[in-house]
Amino acid sequence: MRPLDETETTAVFEKLFKFTGNNLKNIVENPSHEGPDPDSGRYCFRLHKNKVYYVSESLVKRATNIARTQLVSLGTCIGRFTHGGSFHLTVQCLSLVASNAKHKVWLKPTSEMSFLYGNHVLKGGLGRITENIVPGDGVVVFSMSDVPLGFGIAAKSTQDCRKLDPNGIVVLHQTDIGEYLRMEDDL
Amino acid sequence: MVAKRKQKQRIILPPELPPEVSEDEIEVSDEDRDFVDQNREYAGFLSTLDTQSITKHVTRVADVKEDALEALYEKRLKRKSLHKEKEDPGVQVDRVDALPVKTLDGQLYYRTATKASKASENDPTEEEASGAADKSIVKLTKAERRAKLKKSKKEAKKQGKEAEPEVEQTPQEAVLAEVKEDLTTEEAFESKKNKLAELGIALLADPASNIKSLKEILQICKDNNHAIVKLGLLSLLAVFKDLIPGYRIRLPTEKELEMKVSKDVKKMRLYESTLLSVYKAYLQKLAALEKQSSFQHVAFRCICTLLDAAPHFNYRESLLGVVIRNIGSPDDVVRKLCCSSIKSLFTNEGKHGGEATVEAVRLIADHVKAHNCQLHPDSVEVFLSLSFDEDLGRAARNDEKHKPQSKKSKKKKHYEEARQLKENDKKRSRQELLTKTREEVAADYKAVALAPDVMERRGMQTEALSAVFETYFRILKHTMQSSASRSEANASLSTGATEPHPLLAPCLKGLGKFSHLIDMDFMGDLINYLKKLASGGSDSENTSKCLTVSERLRCCIVAFKVMKSNLDALNVDLQDFFVQLYNIILEYRPGRDQGEVLAEALKIMLCEDRQHDMQKAAAFVKRLATFSLCSGSAESMAALVTLKHLLLKNVKCRNLLENDAGGGSVSGSVAKYHPYASDPNLSGALASVLWELNLLTQHYHPAVSSMASSISSMNTAHNQVYLSTISPQQAFTDFSLERPESFKPPSDIKKSNNKRKRGSDPSVSAVIEPSADTTSIDEDDVRKKLSAHFMLLRDIKENQRLRAELDGTTSSIQLYEEYKQQKKKAKKPKMKKSRTLLTVK
Repeated sequence: MRPLDETETTAVFEKLFKFTGNNLKNIVENPSHEGPDPDSGRYCFRLHKNKVYYVSESLVKRATNIARTQLVSLGTCIGRFTHGGSFHLTVQCLSLVASNAKHKVWLKPTSEMSFLYGNHVLKGGLGRITENIVPGDGVVVFSMSDVPLGFGIAAKSTQDCRKLDPNGIVVLHQTDIGEYLRMEDDL
Repeated sequence: MVAKRKQKQRIILPPELPPEVSEDEIEVSDEDRDFVDQNREYAGFLSTLDTQSITKHVTRVADVKEDALEALYEKRLKRKSLHKEKEDPGVQVDRVDALPVKTLDGQLYYRTATKASKASENDPTEEEASGAADKSIVKLTKAERRAKLKKSKKEAKKQGKEAEPEVEQTPQEAVLAEVKEDLTTEEAFESKKNKLAELGIALLADPASNIKSLKEILQICKDNNHAIVKLGLLSLLAVFKDLIPGYRIRLPTEKELEMKVSKDVKKMRLYESTLLSVYKAYLQKLAALEKQSSFQHVAFRCICTLLDAAPHFNYRESLLGVVIRNIGSPDDVVRKLCCSSIKSLFTNEGKHGGEATVEAVRLIADHVKAHNCQLHPDSVEVFLSLSFDEDLGRAARNDEKHKPQSKKSKKKKHYEEARQLKENDKKRSRQELLTKTREEVAADYKAVALAPDVMERRGMQTEALSAVFETYFRILKHTMQSSASRSEANASLSTGATEPHPLLAPCLKGLGKFSHLIDMDFMGDLINYLKKLASGGSDSENTSKCLTVSERLRCCIVAFKVMKSNLDALNVDLQDFFVQLYNIILEYRPGRDQGEVLAEALKIMLCEDRQHDMQKAAAFVKRLATFSLCSGSAESMAALVTLKHLLLKNVKCRNLLENDAGGGSVSGSVAKYHPYASDPNLSGALASVLWELNLLTQHYHPAVSSMASSISSMNTAHNQVYLSTISPQQAFTDFSLERPESFKPPSDIKKSNNKRKRGSDPSVSAVIEPSADTTSIDEDDVRKKLSAHFMLLRDIKENQRLRAELDGTTSSIQLYEEYKQQKKKAKKPKMKKSRTLLTVK
């Protein structure tokens, strides 16, 4: 377990910024109420075996007691670095990203399952969409009752969505909460 | 008056002599003497008699013999009668005889005293009449015209009368010439006026034969006298309004002139060409006069009425140009006239077939561009009276679709019929003939029909629409640029007087109205602009005061309207505008900003939007509750109505009504409520409790308190789905301060509240009960309290006054003492000096 170096930090923050915009500040400055300390500490990012964890400082202190080989996981895993060196977000970061999301898409109840099996979001399944989305932005996908289902990358801007035919892809699938079942072993 | 004249004559003539009696022969009786003795004052005139003048008069005749005296008297009588004759023709300058009056039938009347008094009686009615005429000038009918002429005559009389008093004051002979001069001008004025009237009546009676007299009237308009010019202009206006035909005059070309034509056509051509040329000259005259301040109003009245009456006629462009150039005029009257005429132009498109509308809109757009958006709001507000026919395009398209089909089917049918009837040639040819004639008739009908071509109208509409939106976008852009530049200026100066954007409000209104007509392609840019404007024109927070709160709210409203009217299929979440509204609610001040706008924004953004995130809804619920605590009853009522809406729609948000802070699992990632967060999604409002409602149940306004209690009694358990029927806007208007009857204060709030508090159960319904029936009872109580209050106030005043007096006296005493001391000091050196002097001596 070690703190991220500079290139890793920029990679992580760039990725998060795609989804949260200026709300990234909230993720970094979020006070933690863990541990015996009366004044709340902060959260920080730690790298452990190619995986990036979002951990409170008090937990980091206590985790130092465990040998690196013995440590399986700590805090919330938010993503991992591939062998190529690029950073990928994983499903576990969904709650963190969803609460600070900048661009959102709401799915109609009929198309929820399709998305949870790993398909892209089509125009026909779109219940609601925030305005001002640009292609390439990170988009968090919600059900109509505001339950976060996953996230992806916008394929079309909000403007273009209007003219799109019902089978056009609006959001490219990245992760969804179905992965907890489908890829139980990997996570 | 007669008596007066006699007196005058007596002064002029020597007094008739008393019968010749020697002084000795006069017997003075005792009674007479007694009378004189008793009333000495009566005899006082004797002492003041001007004996010299009397004797002078008398001696002229005294020493003439009796016959001669008689002759002298006769002579005098003659002279007197002569004098009278001379007086009668009215040259003599007397108050009443100054002006002869010429009536309508041309007779001269010499005024006498009675007549004068009558004239004075007429005065008020005259003024009334003139006032009425002023009002009616815009819409002159023939009858009114006649009335106007009468009025002008009366005015002349009045002016003549006004001239009289100064004549009276000055010595008669000196003024005589002057009066004569006056008389001639008056007469000229009158004659011109009469001529105007005659010409006008003749023209209206038979325009074809009297068309030349238009030129004469125009000539009269070049007079030096302002009143005459004005009258001339107005009468020309009335004449033109009646004369202008329902078509556009096309002057014949040279080729046409060469052709031989019948007498009637010639006459018609002459008539039309004269009418047109005079009309042109008249318009030029008006355009020239429009720049002179003394004629401005009259000229504009004429121009606007003409534009109203004849928007189809020749030279409309020049009329429109003048009107639109002055649509933002600083002069209220002129601006109102221009705006109303343009509005009527827009609403009565049938008169000119829509061409004038397009022209006017174009001109306004150019005008706005030329003035860099610094105009009076009225100039853009006229767009609101435009109306665009949506069905026009669709109908046309449908027609196009139908036509080919029907033709094809007709042909098919025709062929079939033909095949069927091949053997019967006679019948076939007859049928062909029938269809041919039918087609011809249809073509003729189309050529003659008055209704303009649908496609043409559609083209004009799109042109007008594009001009309108061009103007609107220009205004938005300008506002943004100016506010951006101002923010820079503010940064350097730190004190920026906020320059208003006069056109922004009508522009936003118009965008809201025509939002359904905006092209999709503009939508993105428009929303971007609105977003920037709503955030106050720039990103930095300290410059957010560039636009007023109401304007920013309007931006939000327009954005929502635009979205709603265009994108019903795709549900777009306008997150940024919600963030703006969330912050604007805190910046709202009841006195400064327009509550109606806030209520409208609440309605459109929160009540009518279909769904909200739970977090956002909760944040708004919390903020609205806070807001309603610290604003007027009307605003808080609107806020509470919205709050109720939100709570009814979002079941989970009712956790706010529960009495434990923290929110539990629903509160999401933000575990603590941040009241100052600028983003509703991050405020963590679900972790808070709506304690504001409890305070609001004790609001002084019974309606607010009842509303608050009804909300707080709503709970998570039973899921009622009834929605309150009242909208925030309605609530605001119902409870705004302009309608005092809505508020009957329960006068013993304190008492009742205290009672309730002490009572075991502060049930909400109980608080409301006493409001109605306690008002009348406690009037005496209030009176007592008030009197006590004022007594106290008076005592305080008295106290202050006394204290001030005391201060004054003490200070004067102090001054006096100082003065004394100084005096002593001054004396001492003197004493010393005198002593030294003494010693020297």
